[in-house]
Amino acid sequence: MATVDLPLPRLGVGAETAPRPIKVVLNWGRRYSLWVFNFGLACCAIEFIAASMARHDFIRLGVIPFAPGPRQADLMVVSGTVTDKMAPAVRRLYDQMPEPKYVISFGACSNSGGPYWDSYCVTKGVDTVVPVDVYVPGCPPRPEALLQGIIKLQEKIASESLSSKGMRAKYGGHRAATAAEVTRPLVAPPTREVVGG
Amino acid sequence: MGQTGEVTTTDGPRELTVGMGAGGLATADMVLNIGPQHPATHGVLRLRIVVDGERIITAEPVVGYMHRGAEKLFEVRDYRQIIVLANRHDWLSAFANELGVVLGVEQMLGLEVPERAVWARTLLAELNRVLNHLMFLGSYPLELGAITPIFYAFREREELQAVMEEASGGRMHYMFNRVGGLKEDLPAGWLDRVTHAVRAVRGRLPDLEALISGNEILEARTRGIGLLSPEAVAAYGVSGPIARASGVDMDLRRDAPYLAYPELFAPGGPGRVVTRTAGDCLARLEVLLEQVHVSLDLADACVERMRSLPQGPVNVRLPKVLKVPEGDLYTATENPLGFNGYYLVSRGEKTPWRLKLRSASFNNIGVLRELLPGALISDMVAILGSTFFVVGDIDK
Amino acid sequence: MTEAAKGSRAAGIPGLVRGLAATARTLARPTHTSEYPDAPPSLPPRSRGVIALLAENCTSCMLCARECPDWCIYIDSHKETVPATTPGGRDRQRNVLDRFAIDFSLCMYCGICVEVCPFDALFWSPEFEYAELDIRELLHERDRLGQWMATVPPPPALDERSADPAEVSALGKPARAPRAPRQAAAEEGQA
Repeated sequence: MATVDLPLPRLGVGAETAPRPIKVVLNWGRRYSLWVFNFGLACCAIEFIAASMARHDFIRLGVIPFAPGPRQADLMVVSGTVTDKMAPAVRRLYDQMPEPKYVISFGACSNSGGPYWDSYCVTKGVDTVVPVDVYVPGCPPRPEALLQGIIKLQEKIASESLSSKGMRAKYGGHRAATAAEVTRPLVAPPTREVVGG
Repeated sequence: MGQTGEVTTTDGPRELTVGMGAGGLATADMVLNIGPQHPATHGVLRLRIVVDGERIITAEPVVGYMHRGAEKLFEVRDYRQIIVLANRHDWLSAFANELGVVLGVEQMLGLEVPERAVWARTLLAELNRVLNHLMFLGSYPLELGAITPIFYAFREREELQAVMEEASGGRMHYMFNRVGGLKEDLPAGWLDRVTHAVRAVRGRLPDLEALISGNEILEARTRGIGLLSPEAVAAYGVSGPIARASGVDMDLRRDAPYLAYPELFAPGGPGRVVTRTAGDCLARLEVLLEQVHVSLDLADACVERMRSLPQGPVNVRLPKVLKVPEGDLYTATENPLGFNGYYLVSRGEKTPWRLKLRSASFNNIGVLRELLPGALISDMVAILGSTFFVVGDIDK
Repeated sequence: MTEAAKGSRAAGIPGLVRGLAATARTLARPTHTSEYPDAPPSLPPRSRGVIALLAENCTSCMLCARECPDWCIYIDSHKETVPATTPGGRDRQRNVLDRFAIDFSLCMYCGICVEVCPFDALFWSPEFEYAELDIRELLHERDRLGQWMATVPPPPALDERSADPAEVSALGKPARAPRAPRQAAAEEGQA
């Protein structure tokens, strides 16, 4: 199958030459309205939910857990074990998110496979599938640890450069998806041959 | 929505023309994939359903998106390391999962566990059951569109998680069981804090109940929906609150008692098995809600009992390298979601030769194949949520 | 459904109204939100946040690295010869720790390493604020692990009904019987 390379993300001339105060304001806006898409996979998802509940309440930090889907989200929190069977779906949903997008890897399993690193069916870290911005350690991390990870991400966003070069450095490289990867169907199961028919 | 009023007045079959040239309500079977990432599947369960119009004809749960190969990993880990992995398959009932492993190993070793450890384990297992049920009492209404109960449920969860963390050091994965007892003794004054937390949760539970039980909208969505017959329960090996909601009076805590349950479930004791006969989604939710009360009573009874026990250890001294004698044993416990069994085959090594896991959710979602056909798509989420499953427990 | 719930429905109050009343009651109560970045949470001493290393106590015996369920502890050491302190004495060998690292991206926070350490070199600290931008930073080396030592809380007192520590129960035991005659000891040894 011929693959078509997607164009790398590019910003308009206006963004490249925007004066510094505008960039600061833009980053400030991005920082405090992170609509989050919870990729809840395992135990960590429960702690993610706990962080979104009244006790820890990450809306205080500007993280809004009401994104209806990946297409309306800025931040994806991968919480839980990514299995090889699930990994294509993670990539797909990541590709559906509009840029600029951020990923928090929440918990040992999504950081590096964690407890299941020697399992035959677990992806050794979600960063082999999508670029990750912040890694939160823990198994599962406590909700406060997620809040700290979010604060860390916000600091990163605040210091982000807005040039196309910076964007390319982030999304480009060997992890960029090709058009084929975004649009290809899931792997079809082997067709069953009719025996004796 | 303005058209619905007119429709009710017409007699006979009415014709509705859908504006895409569909030509009436002529329907064709359509295959619909729900999941693997779908908010209603809390986790990564995938359902492949065939629908005729709005009615589900066949449904097939496609599992394996969370398969982590835990059983294979058990085989290269010693019995202490297994506990760590074992509590992660059903992440809402970690303590109950640990319990199955250590009970099995203890039985094969012929080990007598100190009395204080038995009661402390029972207490922690019941608190864990409350934590598990609270999660579903919050998430199930959320799936039906009621966002409020989950806030109440998580408030109580935080309360109980705090005491669990104080004793074990973990909020979810306690890793507090060891072969022969518990990891270490309870902190001073912990029992008082458990009493306090249980009292607080019991005191605020009516708030949660006021939102769930008797709510007209919730009842309209769940009453008579997803009827599960006792025959289907038996055929699919369904267990736990779902089976009991269909009138199958079966609870291992009473029927094959372990830990301190023989005493708690004795006549006159605080333990009782909650059953319903309706077998619909509402009955399943009611069983869960009432089980929270029973478990809180059991926790109180355990605390009372622990206060009167004589001074003593909570674990036994074991050799540094623990080898289980050759043989095999199936240990079943009543997890919050149903029967949880470990089939341990040992060849006298320090690792098991095989540790097969019988998890509750795997059988419980199997019955979706029976429950969903005939239901409307709009009821699918209600039925799916009412089977109270944890995806890790399905896929292991 | 509890008796109370049934009772109130019998009184004719619709469920929706009761639900709204519960919401209204909660509205009147103070919130229970913990203001995390501003107010640090108070965590119990047993909380498993991060593993601290007291390197002086470590004899590089490798027990922790071996017992770890996902083998995320890395230890390097070498043997050093300590010259004899007294004339005519024997030179002693001792292990010197070169590297002690824990990969917190793999760690499953079970506490087995802390439990098996025979020399009290590893401790749990409730600290949890170490999210990183790069996964390689989660491999904490010896000096970083040593810094956590300052945050390790003293262990909590145990329940009043807990068994006495081994040291105390050993004191309570009757003094060991005087040594048996050599003959008897030898026989016992054979048995």
